[in-house]
Amino acid sequence: MAGLELLSDQGYRLDGRKATELRKVQARMGVFAQADGSAYIEQGNTKALAVVYGPHEVRMSRSKTLHDRAVINCQYSMATFSTAERKRRPHGDRKSTEMSLHLKQTFEAAVLTNLYPRSQIDIYVKILQSDGGNYSACVNAATLAVIDAGIPMRDYVCACTAGFVDETPLADLCHAEESGGGTSLALALLPRGGHIALLQMDARLHQDHLETLMEAAMTACKGVSKVLDQVVRQHLQEVSALTGE
Amino acid sequence: MIKTEKVLHLKSSRGRKVRVVREHYLRELVPCYSSLCQAECANEGKVLSADVTHYVVPDAGVTRDFMEILEFREIQGLVFTQTACQAVQHSRGRRQYNRLRSLLKDPRHDCVLFANEFQEYSYCPREKGEPQDKWQTRCVYQAAVWYHDHLAGLKPVVMITEDQGAVAEYSSLNCGVYVLSTLEYLRTFWPELQAAHELYGSIAQALRERGNEGTEREFAEHLPAEVLEAGIKSGRYTQGTLNVNKHRAQHEAFVRFDGSSNKNSELDSDVLVWGGKNRNRAVHGDMVAVELLPKGEWRGRTTALTEGQGEEKGEESQGQPMPTGRVVGILQRNWRDYVVTFPPREETQSQGRNSLRILATPWDQRIPKIRISTHQADTLQDHRVIVRLDSWDSTSLYPNGHSVRVLGRAGELETEVQTILIENCIHIAPFSEAQLREMPASSPERPWTVDPAEVVTRRDLRDTHLVFSIDPRGCEDVDDTLSVRSLPPGPQGPRLELGVHIADVTHFVKEGTLTDLEARARATTYYLADRRYDMLPAVLSADVCSLLGGVDRYAMSVMWDLDAQTLQVNRVWYGRTLIRSSYQLYYEQAQALLNGEEAEVPELAQLPPEERDHKLSHLIEALETLTQVARHLRAQRDQGGALELEGVEVRAQLDEDKNITALVPRQPLEVHETVAECMIYANHWVARKIQERFPQQALLRHHPPPRQEFFTQLQDSARALGFTIDTRSNKALADSLDQAVDPQDPLVNRLLRVMATQAMSNALYFSTGACPVDQYYHYGLALDRYTHFTSPIRRYADVIVHRLLTAAIAVEEGARPAKASASNKELEEMAQHINNKNRAAQHAQKVSMELFQCLYFRDKDPETAECCDAVIYAIRTNGVLVFIPQYGLKGALYLRNREGQVVRVSQDGRCVWEAGSLQRSLDHVSTTTASGTSTFRLFQHVTVRVSVQTSRCHADTLHLELVSNRAHRAPEPPDRTPRAAPPQGTRGRSQLVQEVVRQAEEALLQAEEKKGRVSELSKEEREFRQSKTPNLYSLLEEVREQALLDLTACGAVGGGPDLGTAARPCATSA
Repeated sequence: MAGLELLSDQGYRLDGRKATELRKVQARMGVFAQADGSAYIEQGNTKALAVVYGPHEVRMSRSKTLHDRAVINCQYSMATFSTAERKRRPHGDRKSTEMSLHLKQTFEAAVLTNLYPRSQIDIYVKILQSDGGNYSACVNAATLAVIDAGIPMRDYVCACTAGFVDETPLADLCHAEESGGGTSLALALLPRGGHIALLQMDARLHQDHLETLMEAAMTACKGVSKVLDQVVRQHLQEVSALTGE
Repeated sequence: MIKTEKVLHLKSSRGRKVRVVREHYLRELVPCYSSLCQAECANEGKVLSADVTHYVVPDAGVTRDFMEILEFREIQGLVFTQTACQAVQHSRGRRQYNRLRSLLKDPRHDCVLFANEFQEYSYCPREKGEPQDKWQTRCVYQAAVWYHDHLAGLKPVVMITEDQGAVAEYSSLNCGVYVLSTLEYLRTFWPELQAAHELYGSIAQALRERGNEGTEREFAEHLPAEVLEAGIKSGRYTQGTLNVNKHRAQHEAFVRFDGSSNKNSELDSDVLVWGGKNRNRAVHGDMVAVELLPKGEWRGRTTALTEGQGEEKGEESQGQPMPTGRVVGILQRNWRDYVVTFPPREETQSQGRNSLRILATPWDQRIPKIRISTHQADTLQDHRVIVRLDSWDSTSLYPNGHSVRVLGRAGELETEVQTILIENCIHIAPFSEAQLREMPASSPERPWTVDPAEVVTRRDLRDTHLVFSIDPRGCEDVDDTLSVRSLPPGPQGPRLELGVHIADVTHFVKEGTLTDLEARARATTYYLADRRYDMLPAVLSADVCSLLGGVDRYAMSVMWDLDAQTLQVNRVWYGRTLIRSSYQLYYEQAQALLNGEEAEVPELAQLPPEERDHKLSHLIEALETLTQVARHLRAQRDQGGALELEGVEVRAQLDEDKNITALVPRQPLEVHETVAECMIYANHWVARKIQERFPQQALLRHHPPPRQEFFTQLQDSARALGFTIDTRSNKALADSLDQAVDPQDPLVNRLLRVMATQAMSNALYFSTGACPVDQYYHYGLALDRYTHFTSPIRRYADVIVHRLLTAAIAVEEGARPAKASASNKELEEMAQHINNKNRAAQHAQKVSMELFQCLYFRDKDPETAECCDAVIYAIRTNGVLVFIPQYGLKGALYLRNREGQVVRVSQDGRCVWEAGSLQRSLDHVSTTTASGTSTFRLFQHVTVRVSVQTSRCHADTLHLELVSNRAHRAPEPPDRTPRAAPPQGTRGRSQLVQEVVRQAEEALLQAEEKKGRVSELSKEEREFRQSKTPNLYSLLEEVREQALLDLTACGAVGGGPDLGTAARPCATSA
């Protein structure tokens, strides 16, 4: 179809949101008892599950051991049923390797790794349903899982995407918007200090617009962080109620 | 917000069905855009007025099929639903959707869009198994009910639908919400809107007919859009615009690529689409996808001249085989309104069984005949009617259409002029009451005066500067004035101050007002041969904005502080001013003053002699300084490579009966050029200013360098005479053109310049953000930045530039601009719009000129018809192209007629038709018959007779006939002699100006004569820089029509190394 209208003249997006509105975010922590930390998040129709093991001693190969801090090991995968067309997704294909690497970089910037020398932290993330913004859902899920595991971080890492259509920045793109052409920028932010943990964009964008786009992405990330914070607090309340006083 | 989900079934790229789940967010607060809103919706922008009897909500089917009816401005209180809009977008494509969007944006039309699918209570999810159209109707009904309830029942809401089931089902469900069919609605509420009723009948008829088509397949089916898209991406198909050859509309069409989309690098030329089957229902202008045929089936383009249609014979001379293809699908229809002529009764009846369907012939030869279903065939015979195309199925040989409006009987002047306007997509309604109400009041008894509050904010030049204007005699809309004075000497020596003061139109036409919207839609003043359509209402263009002599007026000024000797710019000042023009001069008068001759200056007539002499010397001094400065500026540009181009010059005068009675050559004066030069200078400096201030969104004008291949004809022709033309740069071209002078025949240089002009592309407006900096260059004027600033009264581009300049000044003074200026994208769209309108205006002007030429020649007796001198300027296989300097006409001269006979020139120079053969070479063509051989060379003078070929359905054309191979030696009217002077020195230089002047002037002159008033000439001088544009364009058009340019030039593009020889191989035909 020749070009969906991503932003109508009245300022509505395809799914009825306005330019700066996020999709609905729902999350739960501690979904698996077996793991050290786990979390499940839904950002609109994108659903991700994150599991954290560690810190534990380095199991991969001894040579990877770092003597001043912990190694972070990330693995990203997508379920075969996560997209509209069922498709086998082998481990270690280029896309997921790249995504794993991005996650690793993001969390190396956020986790206080130097507290755990010579150890390893494993973060496994799986996309259960994909509808745009896979990276940001993974980061947000992993943040919750890391918190659930009790591993100290500098701050929440909140991620969100932003796109640019008709000179207007759009927050939190869905799949139709991501694939409809145009720019998409993914940003992982440590919201309290405003530090950027990761910034990724692989389409062309005029330099003049970069600032407005980043601004929009940052605002969106801060919005996500509020939701996450609420989830964490609620989870703590529940847990403390269960364990009794 | 509430999140729901929508399940869609879509097709994947591989054609499999996929279930897609999309989120869908609903909210409670969706603005209703009605001024009656009780719930305080955030209604921004356009709102529905409260003073209508009801609101009307069309459903998806009505919006899709009957949008033309909804476009009537009388129908008010329209609420379009999102559901309906999306249905239009899906089923009718982007063009129709954009039309709907612009309708929604148009503040003159009382309609709004209600986003019903995002409203919590008006959204209804589609049920399992529910057909799409049922669901859409239900959604629209739900929206109508919500709308009614939202307004607390203050207005009845009418939903219109074509679905009788829906009428029955819903009409009694809610009180206050009525469901009617379209016909019933029109009958009930608009019984007096006759045009809408007719249009409804015509569309409904066309829709019905479409249902019962035959099943025999005439064309291959078009491929579905996904396949086309994939094919284009993979390079299997190529995407481009279909151009039908006007002279072989049945057979030959070319697909021209839009630069970027063409990945196939070996394919840098056009693709030929030969024959109706291969064209597969594409119409001229459509965006199509073509598939190349195997090389064995490639054909060349036809290079012979054709006389009308029907003489396509077996023996066709073809050029080199070029890529040939067939249309596999249509990406975007580009249908507009077409003018057709209904056939007379005899033909209708012979058409057989179904006399309801008429095949009407479009005025534009490139468009196929259109089948129209109508009951009015009898009353409409030989009338010209506006028609819209509806569909073209693979089972039908012709497209289906419906009639929209009757223009009148074919052949009547008014009908023909309307036809020209419609065919160029020019829609002009008189200025409305509301627009005129925005205008400042000014009448002869109570003239408009300046506002004291404005005086404070403007720089007052009334007492300090000698301001004067130079225009054609009798000009009413003066939009530029000049001033020059010396300043106290600075550190570098004496200084001069040169000022250009332009009418401050933007002070009166504020952005977004009705007048502004109207002016934007028109984009330019349209000049036809016998009338003109103004961009702004007369009160502005001829009075309040016009910088008339002796009255206070607002102006936008550019003033340069120059070094008196070197003309180095020390400082430039831009700003709003208040001026009083002291002298309103005309060209001849100004030139006379400069030459030291006696000239009457009416402004000084009343004064005592000493004072008069003093003032006069003051004025003359100013004029002289100005001339000095202009010479200097011109010399600077000449060094940069500015071109002098030549158009076909003809200025026709009309008498009361609108016949061309005389051809008046313009006496070119240096003062024309002086004024032109100052305007170019002002435009250039304004361009610099706005581009510096708004590097991403300034409106500039560029003239791209021509493609070298287009110069082939020029170079070949020049070589035939022993001249070489260097086309590597504009400077080289200008120099070599100056040298290519044949002392015996001054026309040679003129024709060479005409050919150089033909090779040029058009100058275009663009937004600086849309183009890399190195493409800002103006080739013809040799300036790195250029824009239009000096004629805001008749060009909308200048109005935009004025606004940009004002904003730039405001920003510099530290003020925050009140409103963000248009973004790059909006500006680029605007630039495209203005370019298109300008093109349409020029084309309309040219066609109307031709119309009058035909009228002129038609009135002459064909036997005694005037013979005139013509010059051969190009050679074709079966004839030559000639230029008639006396009338500025160009045309084809056939040396072989339909019977295959060729022209032989007998001893006394008479010409006779005899059987024989035709031999063509690069610089001459010769005919051989039993009794001898005659040769026609390039640039040879011959005598031709002009007659008119009338045509019922199309425009009349001129026909040329060879009378003798010698130059015509009729007693030349004395006024023609100056034309023959060699174009050198000042004369050559002023041709540029002269030609510009000519254009507008002739139009105005005629308009004025028509009204029987004393002359009200135009101001076109300011036009110069683009002055060339109208001509460039019209020349290109002309050439294209004669199938010249697209033969040689395009052939050249495709031919690669054989550029120059594209046309040669066909010489042996016959």
